[in-house]
Amino acid sequence: MLEKEIQGFIEKLRTRREFLKISGKGITTMAVTASVLNLLGCGKSGEGSDTPATVTVTPKGILIAQRNRCVGCQKCEMVCSIKNNGKASSYISRIKVARNYNYGLTMAADYATGEGDYGNFLMTQDACRQCKDPQCMAQCPAKAIAYSETTGTWTVDTEKCIGCRTCEHACPWNMPTVDPETEKSGKCILCGTCAEHCPTGALQMMPWKEVTVRLEKKGYKLS
Amino acid sequence: MAKITGWTGKLLRVNLSTGSISTQDSMKYKDFIGGSGFGHKILFDEVPAGTKALDEANKLIIAVGPFTGTGVPSSGRTNIVSLSPTNPYHAATDSHMGGNFGPWMKFAGYDAIVIEGASKSPVWLRIEDDKVTIEDASGLWGKGTRDTSAEIAKIMGKEACVASIGQAGENLINLSSIVNSNSHSAGGHGAVLGSKKLKAIGIKGTKAVPIADGKAEDWLKLNDYFMKEIVGANNQHVVPSTPQPWAEYSDPGSRWTGQKDLFWGAAEPPVETGECPPGNTNWVGLRTQKGFFDLGPVAEERTIRMDGCHSCPIRCHSDMLVPELEKYGLSGYATSTCINYSSPLSIMIKGTADGDSKGMDAFITKCLGSRLADDYGIWSNYAQLGRDFKYVYEHGILKEKLPKEEYDSIPWDLLEKGDPAFLLEFYKRIALKQGEFYHVADGPYWLDKAWNLGKDYWAYKGNNIWSKMAFPKHHSNEAGSHVGTLIQIFKNRDANSHTHMNFIGAGLPIEVLKEVAGEVWGSPDALDKPNDYTPMNIYKAKFAKWSMDRNYLHDSITVCNYTWPMTVSPSKSRNYRGDTAIEAKFFSLATGIETTEAELDLAGERITTLARCETIKRMGTVNLRKEHDVIPDWVFDADPDKKAYTPGTVKLDRKDMETAITMLYKEYGWDEKTGAPTRATLERLGMKDVADQLESLKLLP
Repeated sequence: MLEKEIQGFIEKLRTRREFLKISGKGITTMAVTASVLNLLGCGKSGEGSDTPATVTVTPKGILIAQRNRCVGCQKCEMVCSIKNNGKASSYISRIKVARNYNYGLTMAADYATGEGDYGNFLMTQDACRQCKDPQCMAQCPAKAIAYSETTGTWTVDTEKCIGCRTCEHACPWNMPTVDPETEKSGKCILCGTCAEHCPTGALQMMPWKEVTVRLEKKGYKLS
Repeated sequence: MAKITGWTGKLLRVNLSTGSISTQDSMKYKDFIGGSGFGHKILFDEVPAGTKALDEANKLIIAVGPFTGTGVPSSGRTNIVSLSPTNPYHAATDSHMGGNFGPWMKFAGYDAIVIEGASKSPVWLRIEDDKVTIEDASGLWGKGTRDTSAEIAKIMGKEACVASIGQAGENLINLSSIVNSNSHSAGGHGAVLGSKKLKAIGIKGTKAVPIADGKAEDWLKLNDYFMKEIVGANNQHVVPSTPQPWAEYSDPGSRWTGQKDLFWGAAEPPVETGECPPGNTNWVGLRTQKGFFDLGPVAEERTIRMDGCHSCPIRCHSDMLVPELEKYGLSGYATSTCINYSSPLSIMIKGTADGDSKGMDAFITKCLGSRLADDYGIWSNYAQLGRDFKYVYEHGILKEKLPKEEYDSIPWDLLEKGDPAFLLEFYKRIALKQGEFYHVADGPYWLDKAWNLGKDYWAYKGNNIWSKMAFPKHHSNEAGSHVGTLIQIFKNRDANSHTHMNFIGAGLPIEVLKEVAGEVWGSPDALDKPNDYTPMNIYKAKFAKWSMDRNYLHDSITVCNYTWPMTVSPSKSRNYRGDTAIEAKFFSLATGIETTEAELDLAGERITTLARCETIKRMGTVNLRKEHDVIPDWVFDADPDKKAYTPGTVKLDRKDMETAITMLYKEYGWDEKTGAPTRATLERLGMKDVADQLESLKLLP
């Protein structure tokens, strides 16, 4: 089972990376298991059954978000908004933790056994999934969201953005956020600032070179 | 006028008597920085002498500073100033809470919230950016802090941060707290909100906290430098607790417990803390395995993760998996820190059933008690609650003072056999003010008044009460001889200053610490060796003053004084030197006002001095030296067969300590005879108006 998961993961990495090279388009974030985390050198082998992390494939490497390491300090939100907007704001941060901090993604009927700080303490780090067919782009009336060669992500052109908030509602996860002060939308462009400043490595940008080395260490090849 | 950055520039006032809600320019108080400084200024200016803590005329000021909500490391603290019902004179105290509340205030657009007047019926305050309303809380009255928060989240949205009182605050229990974000409690002011019938404040906002124009990259760089070179672990302990290949030093007492094969064992999958040497930002939050430190080795496999305040990389709270709590009707999760974990065990005065103070029974006791205390909103008074309970139980006072029926209804057998279920009764009877038992949570002064405990109570060995101000010692003469002792005498609650304690406990060899002391306070003699003291000198006075001033500065700016200042660092490449100017560097980048370390220290001195004037106003006497700054006999009379200033004792000498007090007053420019700030000093600090008010009250020396 573990071997099958690992082979499956490597196959996905391979094809998605190839797809990125060919199409130049971002690919959906994928949930991964503990054995995959172990493969990448994160976490302890074989324990924990569900999917404790997500991996987002980017042109530069992979962004790994591990829920088990997130301590809810929200530093990622502060550095994200300072880097991208020159001011600190939880609301416009492109990585979202605060809104899930207390009770998780959805408040459970019995909050004390649900997710979040009032429940089982599990944090949720949410960011743009870099969808294959992004609805934010599709529904934007100003055509302000397009693929950027520079970042390899769906990016908002603030010159074109009219602040109508269509993208906020179009995204199934409400990731783009319009800054109420500038009336311009913003979303994650995988700049990596959040990962760079995370005090526990819960967010991690792993360059392709490192991914390759880590896989080889465990006897696997990426290409 | 230049754009205000760092601060929001706005202060919210809510009068619960009239229902009036207004805002004002907070920059009127800019010289007082924020947090504690704003609080003491507003209280001193606006609350008349003679007011009692639970009077309608008392005000409660919740304030933060220019760092809050900007991501400065460890800037998630909120400061509350109000008159204290626990203090014998109802003098003002600061209470502090972490969590998310402070940053949420800034994101909603406020540097401070001033609560005035009193409502006739229970209300809660709803704040969503500029929209502020007073709401009916009759459905929330009687609920614990967690259910209150959840009910309000259902109305405001799950992202709202809620600070509330529990049943203890509603019932005007002196030792009550204000709690936000599940486990972050501010001790001592719950009853003030209770007297105003304000159950809770729910807050959320969509605004940004601007930093100075064009300074974003500088900001990130400074943060990077802080994380890679300067910061250590909890309490700024800068060496690991175990020997590690990279580390020149280690200290078993260090809170830097991260090491190979030590895990957050209940994480899925488990997270290894590992070796976390300086130089890597992503390891800082793994250094302190606080469950292991606070709850012992049994906690390792129960540790889900570390927890703590907004923007803090240190994580001094630990989140525990405790299915055993389900049999007490709670969920199987607990989270807390230090004293709030240890104080429930101190209530179990006969120990636990397995007799192991670090065993599984102690673990469950601590987890259960911390949950109950936070939910009822009960403050431990730095664990004095347990010591007071021990005294009245063991001296037969409870049996004598409680009506027989009440006494017999208390399940003493649970206490005697070390069953944590005793805590269910203990906390409930206090919070619900059942019978007479609740007096154990009056605080020492009022407990004595209620039950006439007399001299024996104040003097008994093992009691930690500091003078007639009736608060417990908190890093006193055992922490830096005269320095820790001087720091105790200022405040109206436990001193709660970690400026000196973190430095003393950093884990570095005494020789290194003495070198640093020489560089910061002018001579290595500022620091005595532990248990090997020397008589007073001027450098100790400078160390004590700096500690106080930084403490008030941190509570105003606001950063956590459990972590700051950065007097030392874990970096061998820096020769373990810290950087005491980082506050000023962040301040300049946040506010755009180029500010030096000396200028910020002067602001700290201004706030310390203002708080001193506040105390003079409440006590109605200018002679604080005689009436307030009193040192308990045990500081001088401990170890009767040892002489002060000989190895092996922390005792001090009475006459020498008088010299120490005089030296400290001199450093501040206060009147040496009374310890009161003079007009000249107040004017030097830009507080002529404070001098004028004190003069009109005939309270200038």
